[in-house]
Amino acid sequence: TGVWAADFVAKIGHLESAQQSRHVHLEKVAKLVNERTDGAVEFQLFPQGQLGQQREMTEGVQLGTLEATVAPAAFLGGFNPAVSIMDIPFLLPDNDETAQKIRGGAFGEALCDSFNSRGVTCIGLWPNGKKNFTSSKPLASLDDFAGQKFRVMDSNILIEQFNSLGASAIALPFGELYTALQTGVVDGEENPLDTIQRMKFYEVQKHLVLSDHGAMEDVILFNPAWWASLPEEHQKTIVDTFNEVIPDLIAHKAEAVAAALEEIKASGIDIREMSDDEKAAFRDKMYPAGRDAYVERAGEEGENLIAVYEKEYEAATAQ
Amino acid sequence: MILFALVIIVAVLLLVLGFEMFLVLGVPALMIKEFFYGNLPDPVVIQKVLGGINHTTLLAIPFFILAAELMGEGQIARRLTGLVKVLVGHLRGGMGYTTIGGSMAFGSVSGSAPATVAAMARMVYPEMRKAGFSDKFSLGLIVSSAETALLIPPSITFIIYGWMTGTSVAKLFVGGLAVGLVLGLAFAIMAALEARRSGVERGPRTSWKERVLAIRDAGWALGMPIIILGGIYSGYFTPTEAAAVSVVYAIFVEGVIFRELTLRKLFAVTERAAISTAIIFILLAMGGLLSYFITLAQVPSAITAFLEAIHAGPIMFLLIVNVSFLIAGMFIDPNSALLILVPPLYPVALALGIDPVHFGMIVTLNISIGMITPPFGLDIFVASSTLSKPVLTIISGLWPFIIANLIVLAIITYVPDISTFLPNLVFG
Amino acid sequence: MKALAIIRTAERAAAVSIFLVMVALYFANVLARQVGGTFASEFAWVEEAVRLMSLFLVFLTVGLALEKGRHAGVHTWRDRIARATGLPLRKIVDAVGFVFCIYLVWLGYQMTAFVYGMGQKSPTLNIPVFWIYLAPTIGFALMALRFALSFFGRIDRFAGQASEEQ
Ligand code: NA
Ligand code: NA
Repeated sequence: TGVWAADFVAKIGHLESAQQSRHVHLEKVAKLVNERTDGAVEFQLFPQGQLGQQREMTEGVQLGTLEATVAPAAFLGGFNPAVSIMDIPFLLPDNDETAQKIRGGAFGEALCDSFNSRGVTCIGLWPNGKKNFTSSKPLASLDDFAGQKFRVMDSNILIEQFNSLGASAIALPFGELYTALQTGVVDGEENPLDTIQRMKFYEVQKHLVLSDHGAMEDVILFNPAWWASLPEEHQKTIVDTFNEVIPDLIAHKAEAVAAALEEIKASGIDIREMSDDEKAAFRDKMYPAGRDAYVERAGEEGENLIAVYEKEYEAATAQ
Repeated sequence: MILFALVIIVAVLLLVLGFEMFLVLGVPALMIKEFFYGNLPDPVVIQKVLGGINHTTLLAIPFFILAAELMGEGQIARRLTGLVKVLVGHLRGGMGYTTIGGSMAFGSVSGSAPATVAAMARMVYPEMRKAGFSDKFSLGLIVSSAETALLIPPSITFIIYGWMTGTSVAKLFVGGLAVGLVLGLAFAIMAALEARRSGVERGPRTSWKERVLAIRDAGWALGMPIIILGGIYSGYFTPTEAAAVSVVYAIFVEGVIFRELTLRKLFAVTERAAISTAIIFILLAMGGLLSYFITLAQVPSAITAFLEAIHAGPIMFLLIVNVSFLIAGMFIDPNSALLILVPPLYPVALALGIDPVHFGMIVTLNISIGMITPPFGLDIFVASSTLSKPVLTIISGLWPFIIANLIVLAIITYVPDISTFLPNLVFG
Repeated sequence: MKALAIIRTAERAAAVSIFLVMVALYFANVLARQVGGTFASEFAWVEEAVRLMSLFLVFLTVGLALEKGRHAGVHTWRDRIARATGLPLRKIVDAVGFVFCIYLVWLGYQMTAFVYGMGQKSPTLNIPVFWIYLAPTIGFALMALRFALSFFGRIDRFAGQASEEQ
């Protein structure tokens, strides 16, 4: 920050730690936006839930106590049932470029728009990696999942995802997960590799399947009144800057995931990559279950969004 | 600055004039809101009040309070302490060691210092008094022994620290075991000295036959610690769930086996536990509000700027770390202090060549101390509400323990080997 | 004072039944996990439900705790200072407490109405989130009531604190 106070100050809260990709790129965006607006716009970052849980932060953005939050889609289903589409397993294709086509195209736009009637202004989506399965029991095949207990985040769709595999979905606070895996309260969990590495889950797990089955998408939400108070040029600068760093963000995340995999490999746990055929088999089982649970919850709006998604998915993967 | 001074003066006045503690915390918090964050929508106050208590892991506190009330009202507590007396009663100060050892065992699994106070206080306090320890020493020992819950694994504090810094949780757990044992040893020395000083009598030495009889008499009561410890370690339930299971077990044993727990009694006991819970949680709620405004103030950036300005070396740096945590721990929830202070201080620690595990021990020990330092010391309030003792009486008993804690902190801080020896031995 | 007796009975009954149901649900959850399979998944809402109930447990009981003089505080010097200065300190505490609680009731109402208007639902139970903000709103109202009754001398909430004077 310069000598003169900025005209527009936004506190941005989020859950990740200060070294993780999301925060690193928020810092980048904050710096670029500040420069490009000649110091008129300042972002103050509050990482790792310093300002509360995600629900509190999202409420804060609605209320105007917090100007913005970058939230995992999985934590936003209560505010906007439509966004839970992101919880459906195997939603985004493996290829980063194809995935970005879907994220940056009509589907991403429709998803983002669905927030605007819910007291927040969505200005874009950020990729934040993909989830993989770990367990203390073997995960060698689809059948192995049956009977195992997996920890899930609060989400009906994720519960159905595990039910479709014949597994138990167990709700547990994130902070208790390490110990629960260690003692065996639950057998496994699903998270991106860099989370598995940062939380040291691999220290208390025996098997890892590189399944990339769940997209972790971040939604960038601003308080509508604060957003509207910005001159249009600043709005454009902010949106463009958030979009501009996406390739960087994907690369940074890929690097973090690669480094995480190295560290996890060194620990000697069993690591297996899921083949394309296998992924297709998993998708056949899990996608319909997740889809049905989603439509049940999100209603007509959900059906419409699914239709947009499926069209985009076909178009993007056909090429 | 004048406004800030006014807030402090009002807080002190409210405290001294005997206002309820939730007002002592809440009124100044509202003043800070009006003076410094006037443009924030007011309902944020309610949001943060609720945010302070809307956590699953906190549920262990009410459940263990209820279990302890049930055991104290019925026979489980009496039979368990009877067994302990037969086993260690012939040692001078044996009840003191039992309090420390019991808190360490219970704190290990529960992972929550306030839950440990809630579960232990009602059971061991009367026995410590009967054994001849003074009121103040008994209270001080019970409250401070519970601190080991955060140090002896498993511990969520280490997991959060590991997440923030990328340090191995397994290494932190092993280091925490060593530091927790050092702290327990320090308290044991204090108990020994106090027992000698105030002439605590030895009980008669008991025969093996008496001991076997006592174990048999403890029977169903002995199931309680076995179920809690065994259930958690063998993965049947989480520590929070163990608290609920212990309530069910207590109702079953007192009601069905000992046949003394009537419905009327169950109602009265549950109501008492509910009131204790309310007293503690309203303070946590106000603490959540205060912590929020302190987070917004971005105090840590001032600390790092100060560190840069004075070119602090490792010794000076660690001193400033300890002082910062100590002050923060006096006024805000120690877990918030962890989230706010570690991110700016950790990179400095790394640059100064301080071992991440060692730094984790220093931080976590500070967090533990924050649980017992007045004016905002959660464990003080838990003891006050579960034992119906004035806050001031507990605080006056705590001073020697806070000093002992600071001595241990100084040793842990400046003798890194205590923290790193075991982890390096185990993990190379 | 019959109305107060009714409120008191309602608070006690609510607190006790909520507390015991919380225990039962958590216990059932542990048992269900031993059964395993998709049956265990059926209980995924328990965590959220018990957390919600704990909020009501706390805020339906804070008023009772106040009436019994049980809230933590340093009461050691209050009455001595009152005698020495001639200030009606107990009344002042009641008045400040009343204003504080009424203000928080107002804020609680605003927050509840706001979240109600946004229509936010809870993630697994799928119930409206405004319920959680109703808890503190009710709780501070129950405490405001006790502060007011004590101010007008209709209840003696200080009786239990007499022993704290040294
Ligand atoms: Na522990
Ligand atoms: Na403290």
